[in-house]
Amino acid sequence: MGPVTRKRLFSIAALCAMIALLLLPIVMALPSPATGEEAPAADGAKKEEGEKVEKGRDVYYKTEGIVVGAPAPKTTDGPRDYPRYNFESRVLLWFANQQHLYYGSFVLAVPIFCMIIEFMGVVTKDKALGKRYDQLAYDFIKISLTAYSLTAILGGILIFTFLTLYPAFFGYLSSIFRPVMHIYALMFVAESGTLYIYYYGWDKMKEGFLKWIHLSMSVVLNIIGTLLMFLANSWIGFMMSPAGVDEQGRFLGNIWHVIHTALWNPLNVHRLLGNMAFGGGVVAAYAAYKFLAAKTDEDRAHYDWMGYIAMALGVAFLIPLPFAGYWLMREVYAYRQQMGITLMGGLLAWLFIIQATMIGILFLSTNYYLWQAMGRMRGAEKYQRYIKYLVFLLACGYMVFITPHTMVMTPAELKAMGGQQHPVLGNYGVMSAKNGGINVIITTTVLSFVWYMRGNKVSTVSWAKFGNIFMGVFFTCAYINIVWLAIYGYYIPANVRVGLSVPQVATTLSCLFFMFGLNSVMMKGAKQMGPIEWGKISVRSQYALIMLATAFTWMMGLMGYIRSSVRLFWHVNEIMRDNSPWAYTHTVGFAANMISFNVLFFWISILFVFWLGSLTAKKVPVEAKVGVPGSVPQPAGSH
Amino acid sequence: MSALNNPVVAVIVSLIIAVGYFTLVDHYLMDMQGLDYWYLFRK
Repeated sequence: MGPVTRKRLFSIAALCAMIALLLLPIVMALPSPATGEEAPAADGAKKEEGEKVEKGRDVYYKTEGIVVGAPAPKTTDGPRDYPRYNFESRVLLWFANQQHLYYGSFVLAVPIFCMIIEFMGVVTKDKALGKRYDQLAYDFIKISLTAYSLTAILGGILIFTFLTLYPAFFGYLSSIFRPVMHIYALMFVAESGTLYIYYYGWDKMKEGFLKWIHLSMSVVLNIIGTLLMFLANSWIGFMMSPAGVDEQGRFLGNIWHVIHTALWNPLNVHRLLGNMAFGGGVVAAYAAYKFLAAKTDEDRAHYDWMGYIAMALGVAFLIPLPFAGYWLMREVYAYRQQMGITLMGGLLAWLFIIQATMIGILFLSTNYYLWQAMGRMRGAEKYQRYIKYLVFLLACGYMVFITPHTMVMTPAELKAMGGQQHPVLGNYGVMSAKNGGINVIITTTVLSFVWYMRGNKVSTVSWAKFGNIFMGVFFTCAYINIVWLAIYGYYIPANVRVGLSVPQVATTLSCLFFMFGLNSVMMKGAKQMGPIEWGKISVRSQYALIMLATAFTWMMGLMGYIRSSVRLFWHVNEIMRDNSPWAYTHTVGFAANMISFNVLFFWISILFVFWLGSLTAKKVPVEAKVGVPGSVPQPAGSH
Repeated sequence: MSALNNPVVAVIVSLIIAVGYFTLVDHYLMDMQGLDYWYLFRK
């Protein structure tokens, strides 16, 4: 048997082992009905015939089931249920949870990027470009590997924090989710094994058939990672919108009901997109940091390109994120209207104003980066004079988007203004206007991307003039339609108005898909005004990338806090009450400080991870970094 | 194709397509939700 055949057999065996690892937890879970008690004894049938079987009604699915679990504990404030240090236990848990989530999101998102980029590298016909993609994917996975160990450590810290500070609650949760937690642990083992083989096998499986096997491994790795996240989401879904238990919190034997709660799927979609956007942001910040620290033009070109790809991938997932958020909120309202009101119109409403501010910052940073990035291509100057109009559109959309419905005021200010609503600005603090604002912002971002994609090109198709005019008219009509729908909303009843957000979103998505598609067709075989000069970009643009990543991190912390706080004084909504001294909602100021602390801690620790990664920088699988500035092939499909 | 490259013709054709498209989007997406897009004009 030759060495090549041996290698092939070994790699196929490794892939099969990974798939087996993926299936193992499912197979193991099959005979485990998660009874919440000991498994039924073999002589169970001999039980007294007259023994009464107690039945309960599912609080969500409304189905009847046999009670097989203990009721949710009724906790009391004391060392038995809430042991503590001389510090607020909730804050300690908040910190441990948030750090684990940051790292968890990062290490789940980056392998998905790797898979996409490695695939692009394999299918591209340009060999040099293929190698660059491969190098980039390797750079990505290298960063996530160190972060992966830290994720596992933080997961351990989180479990210990739960066990030591909230034993009654964690005991109840683990009694309900016993098989899910075991599957989770096994999947984590599978994820680790797959990741290490994927990383260390990179060099050995870099060509031909073996490369495809390697790529398949990344698919398996990402399936495991996504399932891990879905399982973890089932716990928070259960805490917010419990199902599969009766009103006393007793498990009714159907584990699928416990997992598949009202909010599970919206949470899955929202978190998946959020993780991807966050992962893109962190990698873009890493590239920016390396760009700023680079000593040679070659390094600057490489990290400029890396930053652009990471930013583009992150933003690709950022654009649908608000729509996934709308779906989640809609499901929250459908589940418990009061919960929705607490979030959007009550106790937590001001946090949504902060969220809107952060979303606006994300899009402003993205646009700013793209405008700066046009500086590295000859021919893009023609768009510079129009950028001020985009700034105007963005600023208008942003100001409307962040306008609060009511203001926090002193009694004297309240009297002077004649009410909680400002006579003029108050009109903009409603969803009709805000939907218009955010859609204008997203459409403008799409327009910036289209300009960037055609920056150094001139279309050579015979209908180029018509195509350009059509694009201009389509965008103009889209803006008019979005603003028209926003204004129209003021003149029709609320039950009709709520539906207007759907055509508004469709207008934005039409611009995204049709204009990107049309632009790609027009730019096929286009005349190039000059190459993209990677590395020749302003330093300011790199700070925009860092800003983007920081805003992502801050917003993720904020949204996690909002989602968790909406349970108010419940550990498990309407099932298990939180009787600790910390069952109150923090002030906005305290929450903001805590989120900032978490963000700061994450960035300091991830800088340490970057530094660790740089220690092995010389060990790269590709013989030498391919490409030089100025002659680098275009990285994205659109170039 | 050369007629379409005339700016005036191009603008008119583009306007017809874009306005028609967005009107259809507004109407049908409201209709799919069981809502009346033309509510204000019918009342």
